[in-house]
Amino acid sequence: MANIEGSPGSSMHGVTGREPVLAFSVASPMVPTDTTAKFDLPVDSEHKAKKFKLFSLANPHMRTFHLSWISFFTCFVSTFAAAPLVPIIRDNLNLTKSDIGNAGVASVSGSIFSRLVMGAVCDLLGPRYGCAFLIMLSAPTVFCMSFVSSAGGYVAVRFMIGFSLATFVSCQYWMSTMFNSKIIGLVNGTAAGWGNMGGGATQLIMPLLYDIIRRTGSTPFSAWRIAFFIPGWLHVIMGILVMTLGQDLPDGNLSALQKKGEVAKDKFGKVLWYAVTNYRTWIFVLLYGYSMGVELSTDNVIAEYFYDRFDLKLHTAGTIAATFGMANIVARPFGGFASDYSARKFGMRGRLWTLWILQTLGGTFCLLLGRANSLPLAVTFMIIFSVGAQAACGATFGIIPFVSRRSLGVISGMTGAGGNFGSGLTQLLFFTSSKYSTATGLSYMGIMIIACTLPVTLVHFPQWGSMFLPPSKDVDKASEEHYYSSEYTEEEKKKNMHHNSLKFAENSRSERGSRVGSAATPPNSTPNHV
Amino acid sequence: MAIRGFLLASFLLSCLAATCHGVTFSSLQDTLIVTASPQPGQVLKAGEDKITVTWALNTSSPAGIDSAYKTVKVKLCYAPISQQDRAWRKTVDTLKKDKTCQHKIVAKPYSSSNNTFTWTVQRDVPTATYFIRAYVHNSADEEVAYGQTTDSHKTTNLFEVQAISGRHVSLDIASICFSAFSIVSLFGFFFLEKRKAKASQTK
Repeated sequence: MANIEGSPGSSMHGVTGREPVLAFSVASPMVPTDTTAKFDLPVDSEHKAKKFKLFSLANPHMRTFHLSWISFFTCFVSTFAAAPLVPIIRDNLNLTKSDIGNAGVASVSGSIFSRLVMGAVCDLLGPRYGCAFLIMLSAPTVFCMSFVSSAGGYVAVRFMIGFSLATFVSCQYWMSTMFNSKIIGLVNGTAAGWGNMGGGATQLIMPLLYDIIRRTGSTPFSAWRIAFFIPGWLHVIMGILVMTLGQDLPDGNLSALQKKGEVAKDKFGKVLWYAVTNYRTWIFVLLYGYSMGVELSTDNVIAEYFYDRFDLKLHTAGTIAATFGMANIVARPFGGFASDYSARKFGMRGRLWTLWILQTLGGTFCLLLGRANSLPLAVTFMIIFSVGAQAACGATFGIIPFVSRRSLGVISGMTGAGGNFGSGLTQLLFFTSSKYSTATGLSYMGIMIIACTLPVTLVHFPQWGSMFLPPSKDVDKASEEHYYSSEYTEEEKKKNMHHNSLKFAENSRSERGSRVGSAATPPNSTPNHV
Repeated sequence: MAIRGFLLASFLLSCLAATCHGVTFSSLQDTLIVTASPQPGQVLKAGEDKITVTWALNTSSPAGIDSAYKTVKVKLCYAPISQQDRAWRKTVDTLKKDKTCQHKIVAKPYSSSNNTFTWTVQRDVPTATYFIRAYVHNSADEEVAYGQTTDSHKTTNLFEVQAISGRHVSLDIASICFSAFSIVSLFGFFFLEKRKAKASQTK
């Protein structure tokens, strides 16, 4: 088999359109249940769960899910913990606007690299130790905040704490060892969304902690430092829980994982080549920078913005800022759902339009947010902006699985890195210089979102079309098989390395929308040896 | 006649509108003389050093100008150098939106002379360059006059405050302890499990 069943990125979830889209379980005929296994949930032949039972802590599958998303959530809390306390920190450390902006850029830049390394770490040590190592080695960086006494120190510590966002990789990797590939899409999407919520929760938690500590008699400049101990303790607690309660595989055996060789048998160089030379990859890297990227940037600036612009108390500003990040609990899954729903009738063209509409909506309301002069209006615009941007994140990953079959892992990784890069860029451009106010910065960011979402009109699939163009009339080129097998050379095709891609191509015919029934079967698609 | 009436009405309306929009700094009368103990360029330590402020009505002001004066609020204000690149300390003419003077020193009932107050610089005052300004409020609690220790360009007679760092030895020690615990328990677990795995393999 050219592709290990269940390896990260091999998910075929939702591709037929006949399966329930947001499936919580996969029925027996499609994936046979292993009846000899004694687990809480029905499992397949590799003992991966076929069912997703949310309110269960059963070992090992659901326990892994909860350990995993809570670890990711904790890292989001600590990475953005400084943001709602900036009004206090900027007085303590005598920061200028550019210091604050640079720290924001630093907090999201570190994870661009750490996420790339994390994949290799998970391959070597397994996702459980990958997660535990990262979360416990970044705990000292959180505690370091108590030492910070200058702008340079502040930027450095935020940079180091930002490395912990690589728990995203361990989270997704760990769950693909525990859940069947047919439900992994929803499981991973839920975990990612709930983890991202940490960026919102922290805007609520930190000012609350600060208030409580102040009431015990501490000065403001000490209280914020003490408040940072709580995210630090969360790191340590989650690290210990992951190490004691977690396990790498359903059967608990790491060495088996290594024997099976989860490392893909495909050559990395080839996989990278086909990712990099597909122009659609770069368009989605750009787009994700303006959905996920602006979400991260806004997490960093929004509390301070409300505090200064509307003269609110610290915890009021924090509460408002929290609603931005907490919208993730429904907004991101909603984006994925909207993408799937539009695909039922309009196929891939529907998905592209959905993404464009959601992201442009987000951009428009970001622009309006910067212009809003009254508090109720600003809050309303902010909420619509958050739903638009976060739903766009979900919708993006409704399209990514179809961009490439062979290089899905690399493309997902590059898209994710694009998100962080976009965040660093927007913070650098709009929220670091004193040339314009934060309000103007938000408006410009809104304009940039709208502009950078336009390239999605250029994404064209010969077999499905694009936003404005129908599929190619050339019968040979306009087939899913042709698109996906073009990622293999003739030699590789002779070795039949592309047969999983052919299977995927057949299943992806649902992306033609309601025209599926009327599409003529391409002449060379059925393999001869069937 | 009608035009004059109209002009008068619109003039009165615009005055009303001006007060509705909020009192502006440029409309205030500069009638108080305010002096403070810090020497120009002196560095005061927050939480330790004291400032003594004295204020009185400028004797050369026209008589009866202080008939509406009710209370005096003395504040610590940021000098222009500490406002650079820090929009949260911006000077704006509309006093409601002005962020120049963020630290209250004292509020006292108005009297034309013999006003003095000694204030210990509080521990939440940040490191910056300052001057002192006193606002006079009328019975409707609106600003009507002011006086400050510096000139109109805010360049003379400025002093500095050195803030507390907010760091404590106990915090530093706690921080080191928890960090060490985190690292030790991580590697402890890791090697313990490796040893257990080796032991069970050799069995």
